[in-house]
Amino acid sequence: MTQPAVSAHAHILDPESHVHAVEEDLEYWRTKRLEPRVFLLHRRGVLTLYDLLQAATRLPRVAPGDRSTGSLEERIRALEDGLDEYVRGIALVSLDLPGYDYVIDDTRKERGDYDAFFRISKPSHEGTLEERVARLEEQLRDYSWLLRVLTQALLDKGLLSAERLAAERQRQAGRGAWNGARIVARAWVDPAFKEALLTQGREAVRALDIPPGRLGKLGVAENTATLHNVVVCTLCSCYPHDLLGDPPWWYRSDQYKQQIVRDPRGTLARLFGLTLPEQMEVRVHDSTSDVRWMVLPRRPAGTEGWSEEELAQLVTIESLVGVAEPRAPEEVRRREAAP
Amino acid sequence: MTVAEAQATPRFAIGTRVRVQTTCPEGSPRTPLYVRGKRGIVTAVHGAIANPLDHRGIYPPLYSVLFTVGEVFGGASSDTLSVDVHEDWLEPA
Repeated sequence: MTQPAVSAHAHILDPESHVHAVEEDLEYWRTKRLEPRVFLLHRRGVLTLYDLLQAATRLPRVAPGDRSTGSLEERIRALEDGLDEYVRGIALVSLDLPGYDYVIDDTRKERGDYDAFFRISKPSHEGTLEERVARLEEQLRDYSWLLRVLTQALLDKGLLSAERLAAERQRQAGRGAWNGARIVARAWVDPAFKEALLTQGREAVRALDIPPGRLGKLGVAENTATLHNVVVCTLCSCYPHDLLGDPPWWYRSDQYKQQIVRDPRGTLARLFGLTLPEQMEVRVHDSTSDVRWMVLPRRPAGTEGWSEEELAQLVTIESLVGVAEPRAPEEVRRREAAP
Repeated sequence: MTVAEAQATPRFAIGTRVRVQTTCPEGSPRTPLYVRGKRGIVTAVHGAIANPLDHRGIYPPLYSVLFTVGEVFGGASSDTLSVDVHEDWLEPA
Protein backbone atom coordinates (compact mmCIF):
# COMPACT_ATOMS: atom_id res chain seq x y z
CA MET A 1 0.00 0.00 0.00
CA THR A 2 2.97 2.28 0.20
CA GLN A 3 3.06 4.77 -2.59
CA PRO A 4 6.26 4.62 -4.59
CA ALA A 5 8.49 7.45 -3.45
CA VAL A 6 8.63 9.88 -6.35
CA SER A 7 10.25 13.24 -6.65
CA ALA A 8 8.60 15.92 -8.76
CA HIS A 9 10.64 14.86 -11.78
CA ALA A 10 10.59 11.10 -11.48
CA HIS A 11 8.14 9.00 -13.47
CA ILE A 12 5.10 7.53 -11.76
CA LEU A 13 5.93 3.83 -11.56
CA ASP A 14 2.51 2.54 -10.62
CA PRO A 15 -0.23 4.91 -11.87
CA GLU A 16 -3.02 2.64 -10.57
CA SER A 17 -1.85 2.97 -6.97
CA HIS A 18 -1.59 6.76 -7.33
CA VAL A 19 -5.11 7.01 -8.75
CA HIS A 20 -6.46 4.71 -6.04
CA ALA A 21 -4.83 6.88 -3.37
CA VAL A 22 -6.38 10.05 -4.81
CA GLU A 23 -9.82 8.41 -5.00
CA GLU A 24 -9.71 7.28 -1.38
CA ASP A 25 -8.27 10.50 -0.03
CA LEU A 26 -10.50 12.84 -2.00
CA GLU A 27 -13.66 11.08 -0.80
CA TYR A 28 -12.36 11.02 2.75
CA TRP A 29 -11.85 14.76 2.79
CA ARG A 30 -15.18 15.47 1.09
CA THR A 31 -17.39 13.16 3.17
CA LYS A 32 -15.55 13.32 6.48
CA ARG A 33 -14.33 16.88 6.62
CA LEU A 34 -15.80 19.39 4.20
CA GLU A 35 -19.45 18.42 3.80
CA PRO A 36 -20.08 17.65 7.50
CA ARG A 37 -18.69 21.13 8.18
CA VAL A 38 -21.15 22.65 5.71
CA PHE A 39 -24.05 20.78 7.32
CA LEU A 40 -22.96 21.75 10.84
CA LEU A 41 -22.68 25.43 9.99
CA HIS A 42 -26.10 25.32 8.34
CA ARG A 43 -27.68 23.44 11.25
CA ARG A 44 -26.35 25.98 13.75
CA GLY A 45 -27.33 28.92 11.57
CA VAL A 46 -23.76 30.22 11.52
CA LEU A 47 -23.55 30.05 7.73
CA THR A 48 -26.55 28.74 5.84
CA LEU A 49 -26.98 27.12 2.45
CA TYR A 50 -28.47 30.44 1.30
CA ASP A 51 -25.25 32.23 2.19
CA LEU A 52 -23.45 29.70 0.01
CA LEU A 53 -25.84 30.31 -2.90
CA GLN A 54 -25.16 34.04 -2.65
CA ALA A 55 -21.41 33.54 -2.74
CA ALA A 56 -21.68 30.98 -5.56
CA THR A 57 -23.18 33.45 -7.99
CA ARG A 58 -19.90 35.33 -8.04
CA LEU A 59 -17.46 32.44 -8.37
CA PRO A 60 -16.69 30.38 -11.50
CA ARG A 61 -16.81 26.59 -11.24
CA VAL A 62 -13.45 26.10 -12.90
CA ALA A 63 -10.54 27.04 -10.69
CA PRO A 64 -7.60 29.06 -11.97
CA GLY A 65 -4.90 26.61 -13.01
CA ASP A 66 -7.45 23.82 -13.52
CA ARG A 67 -6.42 21.54 -16.34
CA SER A 68 -7.34 18.15 -17.63
CA THR A 69 -5.00 18.01 -20.60
CA GLY A 70 -1.59 16.43 -21.13
CA SER A 71 -0.38 12.87 -20.67
CA LEU A 72 -2.10 10.59 -18.20
CA GLU A 73 0.88 10.93 -15.91
CA GLU A 74 0.68 14.73 -15.98
CA ARG A 75 -3.03 14.56 -15.28
CA ILE A 76 -2.47 12.27 -12.28
CA ARG A 77 0.12 14.70 -10.94
CA ALA A 78 -2.29 17.60 -11.43
CA LEU A 79 -4.91 15.63 -9.50
CA GLU A 80 -2.47 15.01 -6.64
CA ASP A 81 -1.60 18.71 -6.53
CA GLY A 82 -5.29 19.65 -6.68
CA LEU A 83 -6.04 17.25 -3.83
CA ASP A 84 -3.26 18.78 -1.71
CA GLU A 85 -4.72 22.22 -2.34
CA TYR A 86 -8.20 20.93 -1.46
CA VAL A 87 -6.95 19.46 1.82
CA ARG A 88 -5.14 22.66 2.79
CA GLY A 89 -8.24 24.67 1.93
CA ILE A 90 -10.43 22.49 4.13
CA ALA A 91 -8.14 23.17 7.09
CA LEU A 92 -8.73 26.89 6.52
CA VAL A 93 -12.53 26.67 6.52
CA SER A 94 -12.37 24.43 9.61
CA LEU A 95 -10.91 27.14 11.83
CA ASP A 96 -12.83 28.22 14.90
CA LEU A 97 -15.49 30.79 14.10
CA PRO A 98 -17.03 33.47 16.25
CA GLY A 99 -20.51 32.58 17.45
CA TYR A 100 -20.03 28.85 17.32
CA ASP A 101 -18.34 26.79 20.01
CA TYR A 102 -16.94 24.00 17.85
CA VAL A 103 -15.29 20.73 18.96
CA ILE A 104 -13.95 17.94 16.72
CA ASP A 105 -16.54 15.50 18.05
CA ASP A 106 -19.33 17.56 16.41
CA THR A 107 -17.90 16.64 13.02
CA ARG A 108 -17.62 12.99 14.02
CA LYS A 109 -21.30 12.92 14.94
CA GLU A 110 -22.34 14.84 11.86
CA ARG A 111 -20.50 12.50 9.48
CA GLY A 112 -21.75 9.29 11.09
CA ASP A 113 -18.74 7.93 13.00
CA TYR A 114 -21.14 6.88 15.76
CA ASP A 115 -24.31 6.38 13.72
CA ALA A 116 -24.30 4.98 10.19
CA PHE A 117 -27.53 6.88 9.41
CA PHE A 118 -25.51 10.08 9.00
CA ARG A 119 -22.85 8.71 6.67
CA ILE A 120 -22.45 10.52 3.39
CA SER A 121 -22.36 8.04 0.53
CA LYS A 122 -19.35 7.78 -1.74
CA PRO A 123 -19.29 7.18 -5.51
CA SER A 124 -17.81 4.00 -6.94
CA HIS A 125 -14.53 4.07 -8.83
CA GLU A 126 -15.05 1.72 -11.75
CA GLY A 127 -13.69 1.75 -15.27
CA THR A 128 -10.36 2.05 -17.00
CA LEU A 129 -7.61 4.16 -15.52
CA GLU A 130 -8.37 6.84 -18.14
CA GLU A 131 -12.04 6.93 -17.14
CA ARG A 132 -11.19 7.05 -13.45
CA VAL A 133 -8.82 9.97 -13.99
CA ALA A 134 -11.48 11.85 -16.00
CA ARG A 135 -14.06 11.22 -13.28
CA LEU A 136 -11.66 12.41 -10.59
CA GLU A 137 -10.99 15.62 -12.52
CA GLU A 138 -14.72 16.29 -12.68
CA GLN A 139 -15.19 15.50 -8.98
CA LEU A 140 -12.24 17.58 -7.89
CA ARG A 141 -13.66 20.52 -9.88
CA ASP A 142 -17.05 20.19 -8.17
CA TYR A 143 -15.65 19.58 -4.69
CA SER A 144 -13.15 22.45 -4.97
CA TRP A 145 -15.90 24.73 -6.16
CA LEU A 146 -17.91 24.08 -3.02
CA LEU A 147 -14.78 24.72 -0.97
CA ARG A 148 -14.14 28.04 -2.73
CA VAL A 149 -17.76 29.05 -2.30
CA LEU A 150 -17.66 28.20 1.39
CA THR A 151 -14.43 30.14 1.89
CA GLN A 152 -15.90 33.14 0.06
CA ALA A 153 -19.11 32.98 2.08
CA LEU A 154 -17.14 32.91 5.35
CA LEU A 155 -15.22 36.00 4.21
CA ASP A 156 -18.42 37.74 3.01
CA LYS A 157 -20.10 37.17 6.35
CA GLY A 158 -17.06 38.40 8.25
CA LEU A 159 -16.58 35.04 9.98
CA LEU A 160 -13.04 34.77 8.64
CA SER A 161 -10.66 37.55 7.65
CA ALA A 162 -8.20 37.52 4.78
CA GLU A 163 -5.40 38.19 7.30
CA ARG A 164 -6.34 35.15 9.36
CA LEU A 165 -6.39 32.95 6.25
CA ALA A 166 -2.93 34.18 5.24
CA ALA A 167 -1.53 33.57 8.74
CA GLU A 168 -3.00 30.07 8.83
CA ARG A 169 -1.48 29.17 5.42
CA GLN A 170 1.87 30.23 6.82
CA ARG A 171 1.40 28.00 9.85
CA GLN A 172 0.39 25.01 7.73
CA ALA A 173 3.66 25.19 5.82
CA GLY A 174 5.71 24.82 8.99
CA ARG A 175 4.65 21.46 10.32
CA GLY A 176 5.13 17.96 9.10
CA ALA A 177 6.50 14.50 9.45
CA TRP A 178 9.99 15.91 10.01
CA ASN A 179 8.91 16.68 13.60
CA GLY A 180 8.27 12.96 14.14
CA ALA A 181 11.66 12.08 12.70
CA ARG A 182 13.41 14.54 15.00
CA ILE A 183 11.54 13.22 18.04
CA VAL A 184 12.54 9.63 17.24
CA ALA A 185 16.18 10.52 16.53
CA ARG A 186 16.46 12.36 19.85
CA ALA A 187 14.92 9.41 21.70
CA TRP A 188 17.53 7.12 20.07
CA VAL A 189 20.48 9.16 21.30
CA ASP A 190 19.17 10.56 24.60
CA PRO A 191 17.80 8.06 27.18
CA ALA A 192 16.53 10.83 29.48
CA PHE A 193 14.54 12.36 26.61
CA LYS A 194 13.19 8.92 25.69
CA GLU A 195 12.03 8.35 29.25
CA ALA A 196 10.30 11.75 29.30
CA LEU A 197 8.71 11.05 25.91
CA LEU A 198 7.34 7.68 27.02
CA THR A 199 5.97 8.99 30.30
CA GLN A 200 4.99 12.61 29.60
CA GLY A 201 4.48 12.60 25.82
CA ARG A 202 3.73 16.05 24.57
CA GLU A 203 5.57 17.97 27.31
CA ALA A 204 8.81 16.26 26.30
CA VAL A 205 8.86 17.53 22.71
CA ARG A 206 9.30 21.11 23.87
CA ALA A 207 12.96 20.17 24.31
CA LEU A 208 13.14 20.10 20.50
CA ASP A 209 11.37 23.45 20.09
CA ILE A 210 8.38 21.63 18.65
CA PRO A 211 5.04 23.06 19.75
CA PRO A 212 3.40 20.25 21.76
CA GLY A 213 -0.07 20.72 20.29
CA ARG A 214 -3.29 20.36 22.21
CA LEU A 215 -5.05 17.21 21.01
CA GLY A 216 -5.31 15.23 24.23
CA LYS A 217 -2.44 13.06 25.38
CA LEU A 218 0.40 11.74 23.21
CA GLY A 219 0.87 8.00 23.55
CA VAL A 220 4.25 6.63 22.47
CA ALA A 221 4.47 2.88 21.85
CA GLU A 222 8.07 1.68 21.90
CA ASN A 223 9.17 -1.16 19.65
CA THR A 224 11.53 -3.68 21.25
CA ALA A 225 13.18 -6.96 20.28
CA THR A 226 10.00 -8.80 21.34
CA LEU A 227 7.23 -6.27 20.62
CA HIS A 228 6.20 -4.53 17.40
CA ASN A 229 3.57 -1.77 17.64
CA VAL A 230 1.14 -0.54 15.00
CA VAL A 231 -1.28 2.39 15.20
CA VAL A 232 -4.78 2.72 13.76
CA CYS A 233 -7.94 4.66 14.53
CA THR A 234 -10.89 2.47 13.63
CA LEU A 235 -13.58 4.99 14.60
CA CYS A 236 -12.30 7.88 12.54
CA SER A 237 -8.66 8.66 11.83
CA CYS A 238 -7.18 10.12 15.01
CA TYR A 239 -3.48 10.76 14.72
CA PRO A 240 -1.25 13.28 16.54
CA HIS A 241 -1.36 15.42 13.39
CA ASP A 242 -1.01 18.65 15.33
CA LEU A 243 2.44 17.34 16.24
CA LEU A 244 3.47 15.07 13.37
CA GLY A 245 1.62 16.42 10.34
CA ASP A 246 -0.61 14.22 8.22
CA PRO A 247 -0.53 10.42 8.43
CA PRO A 248 -0.04 8.37 5.25
CA TRP A 249 -3.10 8.55 2.96
CA TRP A 250 -4.15 4.91 3.51
CA TYR A 251 -4.35 5.50 7.30
CA ARG A 252 -7.85 6.82 6.65
CA SER A 253 -8.92 3.94 4.37
CA ASP A 254 -11.52 1.44 5.55
CA GLN A 255 -9.40 -1.39 4.17
CA TYR A 256 -6.54 -0.61 6.54
CA LYS A 257 -8.80 0.01 9.55
CA GLN A 258 -10.78 -3.19 9.13
CA GLN A 259 -7.91 -5.53 8.31
CA ILE A 260 -5.24 -4.41 10.76
CA VAL A 261 -7.30 -5.19 13.86
CA ARG A 262 -8.58 -8.56 12.60
CA ASP A 263 -5.23 -9.86 11.43
CA PRO A 264 -2.36 -7.58 12.47
CA ARG A 265 0.53 -9.80 11.45
CA GLY A 266 -1.05 -10.92 8.19
CA THR A 267 -2.05 -7.39 7.21
CA LEU A 268 1.47 -6.07 7.76
CA ALA A 269 2.82 -8.79 5.48
CA ARG A 270 0.08 -8.56 2.85
CA LEU A 271 -0.37 -4.81 2.50
CA PHE A 272 3.04 -3.54 3.51
CA GLY A 273 5.49 -6.37 2.86
CA LEU A 274 6.60 -6.34 6.52
CA THR A 275 7.16 -9.87 7.82
CA LEU A 276 7.88 -10.17 11.53
CA PRO A 277 9.38 -13.13 13.40
CA GLU A 278 6.86 -15.59 14.90
CA GLN A 279 8.04 -14.96 18.46
CA MET A 280 7.60 -11.18 18.21
CA GLU A 281 4.29 -9.90 19.60
CA VAL A 282 2.38 -7.62 17.23
CA ARG A 283 0.29 -5.08 19.14
CA VAL A 284 -2.21 -2.78 17.48
CA HIS A 285 -3.05 0.46 19.28
CA ASP A 286 -6.50 1.69 18.35
CA SER A 287 -6.58 5.44 19.00
CA THR A 288 -10.08 5.25 20.38
CA SER A 289 -10.14 8.29 22.61
CA ASP A 290 -8.03 11.04 24.14
CA VAL A 291 -4.65 9.35 23.66
CA ARG A 292 -3.22 9.82 20.18
CA TRP A 293 -0.60 7.21 19.48
CA MET A 294 2.71 7.14 17.61
CA VAL A 295 5.28 4.36 17.33
CA LEU A 296 8.87 4.75 18.49
CA PRO A 297 10.68 2.44 16.05
CA ARG A 298 13.88 0.57 16.91
CA ARG A 299 17.16 2.18 15.97
CA PRO A 300 18.64 0.27 13.03
CA ALA A 301 21.89 -1.61 13.62
CA GLY A 302 24.96 -0.13 11.97
CA THR A 303 24.16 3.48 12.88
CA GLU A 304 26.61 3.81 15.77
CA GLY A 305 28.09 7.29 15.87
CA TRP A 306 25.52 8.82 13.52
CA SER A 307 24.40 12.37 14.23
CA GLU A 308 20.80 13.11 15.22
CA GLU A 309 20.27 14.79 11.87
CA GLU A 310 21.44 11.69 10.00
CA LEU A 311 19.37 9.38 12.20
CA ALA A 312 16.25 11.47 11.58
CA GLN A 313 16.59 10.73 7.86
CA LEU A 314 15.97 7.05 8.61
CA VAL A 315 12.52 7.76 10.01
CA THR A 316 9.53 7.62 7.64
CA ILE A 317 5.86 8.37 8.34
CA GLU A 318 5.20 4.67 7.72
CA SER A 319 7.62 3.78 10.54
CA LEU A 320 5.84 6.25 12.86
CA VAL A 321 2.60 4.31 12.29
CA GLY A 322 4.42 0.97 12.61
CA VAL A 323 3.78 -0.55 9.19
CA ALA A 324 7.45 -0.35 8.20
CA GLU A 325 10.87 -0.42 9.79
CA PRO A 326 12.99 2.73 9.49
CA ARG A 327 15.01 3.07 6.27
CA ALA A 328 18.09 0.93 5.89
CA PRO A 329 21.23 2.86 6.92
CA GLU A 330 22.89 2.09 3.56
CA GLU A 331 20.02 3.81 1.78
CA VAL A 332 20.60 7.10 3.55
CA ARG A 333 24.38 6.99 3.36
CA ARG A 334 24.27 5.99 -0.32
CA ARG A 335 22.02 8.91 -1.11
CA GLU A 336 24.39 11.29 0.62
CA ALA A 337 27.32 9.88 -1.31
CA ALA A 338 25.53 10.30 -4.64
CA PRO A 339 26.35 13.49 -6.56
CA MET B 1 -17.17 17.39 36.28
CA THR B 2 -13.65 18.75 36.55
CA VAL B 3 -10.48 16.82 35.70
CA ALA B 4 -9.64 16.60 39.42
CA GLU B 5 -13.06 15.15 40.28
CA ALA B 6 -12.91 12.65 37.47
CA GLN B 7 -9.43 11.55 38.51
CA ALA B 8 -10.31 11.16 42.16
CA THR B 9 -12.01 7.83 41.54
CA PRO B 10 -9.99 5.51 39.26
CA ARG B 11 -11.57 2.10 39.84
CA PHE B 12 -9.07 -0.14 38.09
CA ALA B 13 -5.33 -0.63 38.54
CA ILE B 14 -2.78 -1.91 36.05
CA GLY B 15 -3.11 -5.68 35.73
CA THR B 16 -6.85 -5.77 36.54
CA ARG B 17 -8.95 -8.06 34.36
CA VAL B 18 -11.90 -6.16 32.97
CA ARG B 19 -14.82 -6.70 30.66
CA VAL B 20 -16.18 -4.04 28.31
CA GLN B 21 -19.93 -3.59 28.67
CA THR B 22 -22.09 -4.30 25.66
CA THR B 23 -23.91 -1.01 25.94
CA CYS B 24 -23.50 2.10 28.03
CA PRO B 25 -26.28 4.57 27.35
CA GLU B 26 -24.53 7.57 28.86
CA GLY B 27 -21.01 6.47 27.99
CA SER B 28 -18.47 8.00 25.65
CA PRO B 29 -19.34 7.04 22.08
CA ARG B 30 -15.70 6.22 21.40
CA THR B 31 -15.74 2.55 22.32
CA PRO B 32 -15.44 0.50 19.13
CA LEU B 33 -18.09 -2.16 18.53
CA TYR B 34 -15.56 -4.96 18.21
CA VAL B 35 -14.45 -4.86 21.88
CA ARG B 36 -17.91 -4.62 23.40
CA GLY B 37 -18.54 -7.58 25.67
CA LYS B 38 -14.87 -8.67 25.44
CA ARG B 39 -12.39 -9.33 28.25
CA GLY B 40 -8.98 -7.73 28.57
CA ILE B 41 -6.32 -6.54 31.00
CA VAL B 42 -5.65 -2.96 32.06
CA THR B 43 -2.13 -1.99 30.93
CA ALA B 44 -2.20 1.77 31.54
CA VAL B 45 -4.20 4.23 33.61
CA HIS B 46 -4.37 7.57 31.80
CA GLY B 47 -6.75 9.34 34.17
CA ALA B 48 -9.17 12.00 33.03
CA ILE B 49 -7.78 13.99 30.13
CA ALA B 50 -8.79 17.53 29.32
CA ASN B 51 -9.25 17.65 25.54
CA PRO B 52 -11.46 20.64 24.80
CA LEU B 53 -10.54 20.70 21.10
CA ASP B 54 -12.00 17.23 20.69
CA HIS B 55 -15.12 17.15 22.83
CA ARG B 56 -17.13 19.05 25.41
CA GLY B 57 -16.83 18.26 29.10
CA ILE B 58 -14.54 15.72 30.74
CA TYR B 59 -14.90 12.02 30.06
CA PRO B 60 -14.41 9.54 32.96
CA PRO B 61 -10.86 8.17 33.56
CA LEU B 62 -9.33 6.42 30.57
CA TYR B 63 -7.51 3.07 30.55
CA SER B 64 -5.52 1.18 27.92
CA VAL B 65 -6.98 -2.32 27.85
CA LEU B 66 -5.11 -5.16 26.16
CA PHE B 67 -7.06 -7.88 24.32
CA THR B 68 -5.85 -10.79 22.26
CA VAL B 69 -7.04 -10.90 18.66
CA GLY B 70 -8.26 -14.43 19.48
CA GLU B 71 -10.51 -13.15 22.30
CA VAL B 72 -11.99 -10.43 20.14
CA PHE B 73 -12.36 -12.04 16.72
CA GLY B 74 -11.87 -15.74 17.48
CA GLY B 75 -9.08 -17.93 16.15
CA ALA B 76 -5.69 -18.71 17.59
CA SER B 77 -3.82 -15.46 16.93
CA SER B 78 -1.65 -14.30 19.81
CA ASP B 79 -1.36 -10.80 18.36
CA THR B 80 -2.83 -8.15 20.65
CA LEU B 81 -5.09 -5.12 20.48
CA SER B 82 -4.61 -2.19 22.84
CA VAL B 83 -7.80 -0.17 23.02
CA ASP B 84 -8.37 2.93 25.13
CA VAL B 85 -11.64 2.59 27.04
CA HIS B 86 -13.30 4.93 29.53
CA GLU B 87 -14.12 3.73 33.03
CA ASP B 88 -17.91 3.87 32.63
CA TRP B 89 -17.66 1.16 29.96
CA LEU B 90 -15.66 -1.23 32.14
CA GLU B 91 -16.58 -3.75 34.81
CA PRO B 92 -14.39 -6.27 36.70
CA ALA B 93 -14.10 -9.59 34.83
